[in-house]
Amino acid sequence: MKSRDTTLKLVVVLTLVLLSVAYLLPIYVMVITSLKSVEEINQGNYLIPTGNPQFSNYAEVLFGSDRFRSNMIPRLMNSAIISVSSTALSVFFGALGGYYLSRTKTTFARVLFVLVGIALYLPYQAVIIPLVIMIARLKLALSYWGMILSYLILNMPLAAVLMGTFFLSIPRELEEAAEVDGASRVQIFFRIITPISLPAYASVAIIIFTQVWNEFFLALTLSSPKTQTVQVVMAEAKGTTLVLYNLQMAAALISVAVPLVLFLLLGRYFIRGILAGALKS
Amino acid sequence: MTTARRIRVTREKIVDRLVFLVPVVVFVTLLYGTLMWTLYVSFTDWKTVAANYHFTGLKWYRFLVAQPRFWVDIQNNLKWLILGVVPTVILAILLAYLLELSPFRGVEPYVRTLILYPVAMSFIVTGTIWSWMYEPNRGVFNTLLRSIGIESPLRFVTNPSTATYWLIVIFIWQYLGFAVIIIQSSFRTTELQEMIEAATVDGASRLRILVSVLIPNIRPGILILVSLLLISTLKVFDIVYIVTFGGPGISTDVLALNMWITFFQQHLVSAGAGLGIIIFAMAFILIIPYTIYALQRWFE
Repeated sequence: MKSRDTTLKLVVVLTLVLLSVAYLLPIYVMVITSLKSVEEINQGNYLIPTGNPQFSNYAEVLFGSDRFRSNMIPRLMNSAIISVSSTALSVFFGALGGYYLSRTKTTFARVLFVLVGIALYLPYQAVIIPLVIMIARLKLALSYWGMILSYLILNMPLAAVLMGTFFLSIPRELEEAAEVDGASRVQIFFRIITPISLPAYASVAIIIFTQVWNEFFLALTLSSPKTQTVQVVMAEAKGTTLVLYNLQMAAALISVAVPLVLFLLLGRYFIRGILAGALKS
Repeated sequence: MTTARRIRVTREKIVDRLVFLVPVVVFVTLLYGTLMWTLYVSFTDWKTVAANYHFTGLKWYRFLVAQPRFWVDIQNNLKWLILGVVPTVILAILLAYLLELSPFRGVEPYVRTLILYPVAMSFIVTGTIWSWMYEPNRGVFNTLLRSIGIESPLRFVTNPSTATYWLIVIFIWQYLGFAVIIIQSSFRTTELQEMIEAATVDGASRLRILVSVLIPNIRPGILILVSLLLISTLKVFDIVYIVTFGGPGISTDVLALNMWITFFQQHLVSAGAGLGIIIFAMAFILIIPYTIYALQRWFE
C-alpha cells in the first residue's frame, strides 16, 4: 500500500511538471516575445525575459505603424460589435426555440430537434457560398449586418439546444401553477422561466461570444476592410510581416485578452456551458 | 365557456406557440435552405465570379476526384480524424483518472485552469504562437534543444512528410482540457463512485479499476467526446491556414482549406460547393451515433 502511494505521488508530480511546462511555455513565450525588439529576438535568447521591454510594440499594434499597417483598435471594435450583437440575438432567439423544444413532445418537435441537432455540427464550408451570395444581393457586404446575421443563423441552434437543456431541468410545477392562474406561455417564459435561468443565459452567452470572437473561416470569407475582425488581422499580419514575431505576439496577446479575461473571471459558467452542451444534449 | 371565448383562448394559445416556434423554424429553414442551395450549386457549371446555374450533374465532383490534391486531402483528413481524436481521448481518460486519485489537495483546480485556458483562445492565436515555437532555425523548441547540446534534426512543419502530425499536436494541446472536463464529469456519478469503492474493497488494482470499471461505465461520455472531436478535426481549417497554409507544397492541405482556395481564390464556385457538400456528408455520417443517443436522452 505504502509503495503504491509513493508511485502514485511520483506520477502525479511528474504529470504536473509536464503539464505546467506544456501549458505555460506557450503563454510565457508569447508574453516575453511581445515585449522584445527585433534585434533582441535575433540574438536568440528566447527564454530569457527582456531587459528592455518594448511597450511601444503594443502601441504599434494598436495604432498602426510602418511595420504594422493594420492597426488593431478598429478591428477590436469590429470584433466586439459583431460578437456582442450576434451573441445577444442568438441567445434570445435560441432561448425561445429551446423552450419550445423542451416543453413539446410531438413528432414535429422531435423532427425539429433532430434538425437543430444536426445543424449544431454543420460545417461552415457547406453554407458559406449561399451566404456570400445572399449578403452580396442584400448589399450587406460592407455593413456589420452580413456577418451578424450569418453568425446568428449558425449559432442559434447551439443556443437553442443549450438553453433547452437548462429548461428541461426546471421543475414543471412552477409553470403549472402559473398556468392555473391564467398566465400565457409568453408571460410564463418571460416572468418565471427567464429570471431563474439567468445563470444559464450567462453560460450560453459566454460560450457563443467566445466562439464568434475566435471564429476565422467565416470572418475571413465575409469580412470587408471595414468589418475585418481581429482574427483576420492576425492572419494577415502573420502573412505579411513574417519576421516580426514581436509584433505578431503583441497582436496575439491583445486579441486573446478579451476571451481569456472572460474565461478567468467567469470560468465556472464557461465549464457549465461546455458540460451542458456536451453531456445533456 | 362560450364558443366566442373558446375561440379567443385558442387563438391566444396559437399566438403563444408561434412566439417560440417561429424563430427556430425560420432559422432552421434558412440553414437547411442554404445547405440545399450549396448542393444545387455543386451540380451547376459555376466556374467564374459570374453566377451560372446551368445544370451539369456530377461534372465538378468528377473534376474534384480526378485531382491528386483531393486524395492528399482525404489522407490528411483521415490522419486528423484518427490522430486528433484517439490520443486526445486516451490522454484525457488517464489525466482525469489521475486527478481523481491525486493525493494532493488543490491539484485539480490548478490543472483545470492550466489546461482549459486554451479553450478561450482562437486557433489563429495558438497557431501564431506554435509557429514561433516550431520555427526550425530560430524557434523555441530547437533553440531549447540546442542549448542542451542537441543539434535537433526536427524540422517540424517545414518537413512535408511529418508536418501534418505536428499540426495535430497543436490541436491536441488545445483540446485536451476540454476533453478532460467532459471525462471528469462522467466519472462523477454516485453509481460509478460506489462501484469503484466496491472494487477497491475487493482489492482490485488501480489500473484494473480503470480498465474494467471506469472505462466501460463512461461509454456515453466517451461517445460524446469522440463525436465532438471528430467533428472538430474534420472541419479543421484555421490551424492549417495559419501555420502552413497547406504547405510545404500541398502536404498539409485538408478538405476545408481546399474548399476555401477553390471557392475564394480560384472562383471555381461549383467545385467549392462540391467540397462543402463532401465535408457535410462526412460530418453527417460521423455524428449519426451521437444524434441517436442525444435523441433518446432528450425525450426519455
